[in-house]
Amino acid sequence: MIFRAKANERNVTRFRTRLAIAMMLVVSAVTGLGIYLGQARVNANAERDLRQKFQAELSGLDKLQELRNAAMAERCRVLAEKPRIHAALEDNALDLLYPSAKDELHDLIEGGSESSDPSVGFLHALFCRFLDGNGAVLSPSHPKDVGELSPKTEAQLALKTLPEKQQIGYLTEYVDLADETVDEVIAVPIFSTETGEVISALVVGFKPFEIASKRAGVEVKSGIWAGRRLCMPSLPKAAQTILNNEISNALSKAKRAKNSFTVTIQEVPQLLFYKRLNPGSLFPPAYEICVYSLVDSIAQQRRLRWQFGGVGALLLLGGFVASHFVAVRFAKPVEQLALDSERNRAQRKQAEAELISASEKLKRSTRYSADASHQLKSPLTVLRAGLETLLAHEDFKPEIYEELSTLLHQTHRLSGVIEDLLLLARLDAGHLKIQSEPVNLSQLVEEWLDDLNALPDSPDVEIQKEVPPDLYVAGAKRYISLIVQNLLENSRKYNRKGGRIRVAARANGSEICLTIGNAGQPIARDAQEHIFDRFRRAATGATVSGHGLGLNLARELARLHDGDLKLVRSADDWTEFELRLSAAQPVVERAS
Amino acid sequence: MAKRYEIVTHGGVLSTQPPLAVVYLEGSFSKPATPSTKQIAQKNFAFVPPLRPVQVGTRIEFPNLDDTYHSIFSYSPAKRFDLGRYRPDERPIPSEVFDTAGLVTLRCDIHEHMRGLILVLNTPYFVMTNPDGRFRLNGLPAGRYVLKAWIDSKTTRERPVELKNGGTINVDFP
Repeated sequence: MIFRAKANERNVTRFRTRLAIAMMLVVSAVTGLGIYLGQARVNANAERDLRQKFQAELSGLDKLQELRNAAMAERCRVLAEKPRIHAALEDNALDLLYPSAKDELHDLIEGGSESSDPSVGFLHALFCRFLDGNGAVLSPSHPKDVGELSPKTEAQLALKTLPEKQQIGYLTEYVDLADETVDEVIAVPIFSTETGEVISALVVGFKPFEIASKRAGVEVKSGIWAGRRLCMPSLPKAAQTILNNEISNALSKAKRAKNSFTVTIQEVPQLLFYKRLNPGSLFPPAYEICVYSLVDSIAQQRRLRWQFGGVGALLLLGGFVASHFVAVRFAKPVEQLALDSERNRAQRKQAEAELISASEKLKRSTRYSADASHQLKSPLTVLRAGLETLLAHEDFKPEIYEELSTLLHQTHRLSGVIEDLLLLARLDAGHLKIQSEPVNLSQLVEEWLDDLNALPDSPDVEIQKEVPPDLYVAGAKRYISLIVQNLLENSRKYNRKGGRIRVAARANGSEICLTIGNAGQPIARDAQEHIFDRFRRAATGATVSGHGLGLNLARELARLHDGDLKLVRSADDWTEFELRLSAAQPVVERAS
Repeated sequence: MAKRYEIVTHGGVLSTQPPLAVVYLEGSFSKPATPSTKQIAQKNFAFVPPLRPVQVGTRIEFPNLDDTYHSIFSYSPAKRFDLGRYRPDERPIPSEVFDTAGLVTLRCDIHEHMRGLILVLNTPYFVMTNPDGRFRLNGLPAGRYVLKAWIDSKTTRERPVELKNGGTINVDFP
């Protein structure tokens, strides 16, 4: 039982463990999902934020640029209206062009360096050049006055045709071999006041607007991709080269659908945005490139992951505690159930064991009785045969004959006991099979009553018979006969002198009820319930012969026939037994 | 002096409005010993006269007859000059000598619309047509010459002529 209890405990523990594991799985899944979704959300948010930032920066740039462009347009308009410049252009005095515009250009260029106000600083140019009617650059005679440019840089200013509108371009300025910067140029057309046609263009170079390198806590690297080259001074050359390739790839592939992608620069993931700076320009396409470090976003992700992990762990812990309680709660009835079932099992086991031992005992006893009967029968036969041989002798004294006769009678009696015992043993072992057939009970009773009267020691008893003719019962005639014989013999044996025997039979539905009563000393009340036990004789009188097996055998046989034998009354000088057997349809041929 | 007219620009071509032409006899003629002095005034924000043919070596004075500054200059290849800003009371009257034959476009640095033309010629024989396009050149030397007609800044027509003493010819420039 202790072992069982332990096993039971183990079961409960297993149940609890399973519950905990299930909870753990659920919590893990939820946590994982949370982390995944959170991360995706953080990513999306970061990208959206950065995109917005980029757009904001760009729109800020756009505004500044518009402002500058408007200012430039105004300046150029004023410049173009200058009669001298017109004169220089229209009267083919290009050598006088720069000198004529000297003051205005000087304003454009020099003003910035003198102005301490950065907000207007952006209006001041690095260099100015005029384009001639074919779009070629007119080189100034005194480059110092209009900003010096290397020939390579200057060549980039040329346009295929003169523009009708302002054009924005970006070009790489090679200050020296190692260093290069990007300049933003604005080409403003100059219209002839005489013809209304574009006769020239003023190209003004500026330092490009830079997106602040650090704003709102996000590290930004900005640069310009122009002329198939990237200029991002905040990055080392090698990184720039790599990035340049990536941008070139992205630009050749993506068609404005997406304007961002993720790159890893110096082992730090970055979100890169790009936007065409000069859409529709005659100048080569240029893009503003902004690289936002994703370090913050990643840190946020990590933080989120930790948070989710923490929450998950807490949940798990909570889950464990909850599962413990739940398991205990759940386990209680289960435990009870287990306990009960354990108890039941134990009881069943015990009952089974008892059953087995009882059956064993029964088997043993039946085998014993069978063996015993058999072992007894053979010496008895020998004995009887010997006695009968002796009785055949004629030279014995009459006393010896009498003695021998008594002995022979005893052997007969013993033989009956053994027969009964054998029958009982077969009954007990379940080996007795009956072949049911209609048996004429009325006739059977009649025959036995005749036999009874014919017995030599027939007592002086009155026999009352109330048996209707041709009552048929279902059974084996031999055993039915044995039952009736036993009952009738008993009724004679236990009768008193001058008593009576009453035999009555009647059909009761599907049953035939046979009652056999006899006068005489009734069976003691406390012995009544044991009269059907084996080797138990109710009568105390030693005068009565018998071995205490008859009633037992009779009842066993009655039950074998699905009937029963009961003591219905034993009081006031009257003892009555009732035999019930199944009725059967009379068979005419056999009955006769 | 003909009727009032002005210089107009049409597709980058300067001409007079109504159209007037300068007819002159091309040839190699000696410069006059004493160069003459002519005037182109600035009056009512315009050059008066707007178109003036002169012989090479002529000095032209540019009196300012308006009550404001003018700043006469020219970037023309034939004569580049810049008189700078001056008022009507500027003395002596700013002037320039035009030594190179060619068309000189006069501009005012202050008044962008102002245009004047000086046709500097190697010949003393020139005349402006009347608005009908008629002209008359007198006292021309005998000989074979080319008679040219300046119509606008881009157009000059020419005709070979053979002049005889005392003779008169009619030339049409279609």
